[in-house]
Amino acid sequence: MKGLGRKYDVLLGYLLITPVVILIFIVIGVPFVNAIYLSFTDKVAGSVPKFIGFKNYINLFSDPDYIIVLKNTFVYTFTSIGFKLMIGIFLAVVLNQKFFGRSIIRTLLLLPWALSGMVAAMSWKWMYNDTYGIINALLMKAHIVHVPVLWLSDARLALISCIIVNVWRGVPFFFFSVLGGLQTIDSQMYEAADIDGAGVIKKFFCITLPSLKSVIMITTVLSTIWTFNDFENVFLITGGGPLHASSIISTYTYEMAFLQNEMGKAMSVAASVIPIILMMILIPLRKLNKEEK
Amino acid sequence: MSIRKFKKYLFIYTVSIVALIFTLFPFYWMLVSSFTPNDIMYKVNPTLIPSKFTFQHYIDLFTTTKFTTYFINSLYVATFSTLISIIISILGSYSLTRLRYRGRMFFTKTIILSYLLPVAVLFIPMYVFASRLGLADNKNSLLLVYPTLIVPYCCYMLISYFKAIPVSLEEAALIDGCTSLQSLFKIILPIALPSIAVVATFAFTMAWNEYLYALVLTTSPSQQTVTIGIASFKYSDQYIWGLLMSSSVIASIPSLILYLLAQRFMVGDLSAGGVKQ
Repeated sequence: MKGLGRKYDVLLGYLLITPVVILIFIVIGVPFVNAIYLSFTDKVAGSVPKFIGFKNYINLFSDPDYIIVLKNTFVYTFTSIGFKLMIGIFLAVVLNQKFFGRSIIRTLLLLPWALSGMVAAMSWKWMYNDTYGIINALLMKAHIVHVPVLWLSDARLALISCIIVNVWRGVPFFFFSVLGGLQTIDSQMYEAADIDGAGVIKKFFCITLPSLKSVIMITTVLSTIWTFNDFENVFLITGGGPLHASSIISTYTYEMAFLQNEMGKAMSVAASVIPIILMMILIPLRKLNKEEK
Repeated sequence: MSIRKFKKYLFIYTVSIVALIFTLFPFYWMLVSSFTPNDIMYKVNPTLIPSKFTFQHYIDLFTTTKFTTYFINSLYVATFSTLISIIISILGSYSLTRLRYRGRMFFTKTIILSYLLPVAVLFIPMYVFASRLGLADNKNSLLLVYPTLIVPYCCYMLISYFKAIPVSLEEAALIDGCTSLQSLFKIILPIALPSIAVVATFAFTMAWNEYLYALVLTTSPSQQTVTIGIASFKYSDQYIWGLLMSSSVIASIPSLILYLLAQRFMVGDLSAGGVKQ
C-alpha cells in the first residue's frame, strides 16, 4: 500500500509539473535558442538566415552607437538603482515609526507601482513637454529657470529625464520590500541599543542596515535586472533620442529589428548583454548563499 | 522630551508630505489634464488648477476612437492569461513543494532563473515563433506568451506560500486515505486561497500593463491592447494629449483597484510573518 502511494506520488509529481516544464523549456526555451542562433546569422526581415559566425559581435564593438548605447544602459541602470535604493530605505525607515495617518500614507506611496509603465511614461512625457508642460511652467513661475528646459530634446538631459521616471516608478518596490524586512527585526535589539545610549544614526548603521542585508540584496538584484531590461519607459518618453543620447540596449534592439529590419544584428545586440545579466544574478546570489550557510 | 517628540513628528510629516507630492503629482496631473479643454491645454504656462473643466475628451474617447475594443482586448488577454498561469502554477508549485521525485531541485532553479530572463532578448524570436504558429497579429498569441512572464512569478510566490503550510495538516488527511491530489484540493487550496488571490491579482496587473510583447505581436487595432492602443493616439508626430490622458485614467482603474485590494492583504501577510519570527 505504502509502495503504491509512493509510486503514485512520483507519477503525480511529474504530471503536475509538466505544463510548467513545457512552458519554460518550449515556449521560452525554443525562442531563446533561436535568438542565440539568429545572433550568429545575417538575418534580415523576410530573408533566409545565413550563418556568419561571430561577425555580428565583432562589428558591434566597432559600432560607435553600440558603445554609446551600452554606456547609457549602465548609467541608466546604476543611477536609477542608486536613487531607488537610497530613497526606498530612507522612506521605509522613517515611515516605520508609529504616527497618525501612517497606513494611508504608505498605501498612497505605493501607487506608482501599480501603474503601467506606458501610462507612467506618457504622463511624465506630458509633464516634461517643452511648451505646454507643467514642470517648465512651475519652474518658470518660481523663477528657477527663465527659458523652458528642453527635458526630452536636450541630449544632456534626455537620459536623466528617463531616469527620474524610472526612479518614480521603482521606489515603491524598494520601499515595500524594506518595510517588510523591518518588521522582522527584533525590537529588543533597539531597546538594548537605547540602554547603551546609541543615537539614531548609529542604530541605523549597526542594527537596521545589517539586518536588512538579504532583503536589500534580493530587491536590488531583481530591480537591477528589471531596470537593465526596461523598455517602454525610454521607448515612449524619448524613443532613445535625440541621436541615441538616451538609447539603451532594449530600445536599440527594437530599433535594429523593426525599424532597420536587421534581425541578426539586433539579436547580437540583445545577446551581447546576457553575460552581464548572468553576472548580475549569480554573483550576489552566490554571496548570499555563502552568508546564509 | 516633548520638544524632541515634536521635532520627530515634524520630521516624519515633512518627509511624508514631500514624498506624497512627488509620488502623487503625476496622478493629479493626468487626472486634471483629462478634464482640461483643448483651448486651455495648449496654452503656454499652464496653471495647477485649470479655469475650465470638460468631459469632451472622455466623450471623444468612446465615440471617435477604438478605445472600447482595446479595453475589451486587454480584459480578454489579462483574464485568460491569468487563469491559465494560475492553474499551471498551482499544480506545478504543489508538485515542487509536496511531492518527491528526481529533478525537483533542477526545475525549481530553472523557474527562478526564467523569472529573471530579459524580455529584451526574447521579443524578436517570440515574434518569429508566434508567426510560425500562425498567430501573427493575433491577440491569442499573447495568451501563449504572457504565461512565460507570469508563471515564473506565480511559482516563485506560491512555492514559498505552500512551504509555509504545515505538512502535518496533510499527513492527517493522507492517513485517512486521501490521495495527494485530493489533499491538494481539500487541504492546501482552501488554506492558500487568500495568497492565491493576491498572486492572481498581481498576475492580472502584469498582463494588463505589459507593453513590449503586445507592441511586437499585435499590429491591427482589432487585436491591440490598451497599452498599445493609447500610445497610438497621435496625428503623425503630435500626441493628442486630451485623449491620451483620459484613456490613461480609465486604463489605470482596473489595476489600481485590484492593487489596493491586494495590498491590504500583503501588508497583513508581511507583518504576520514578522510576529511569528
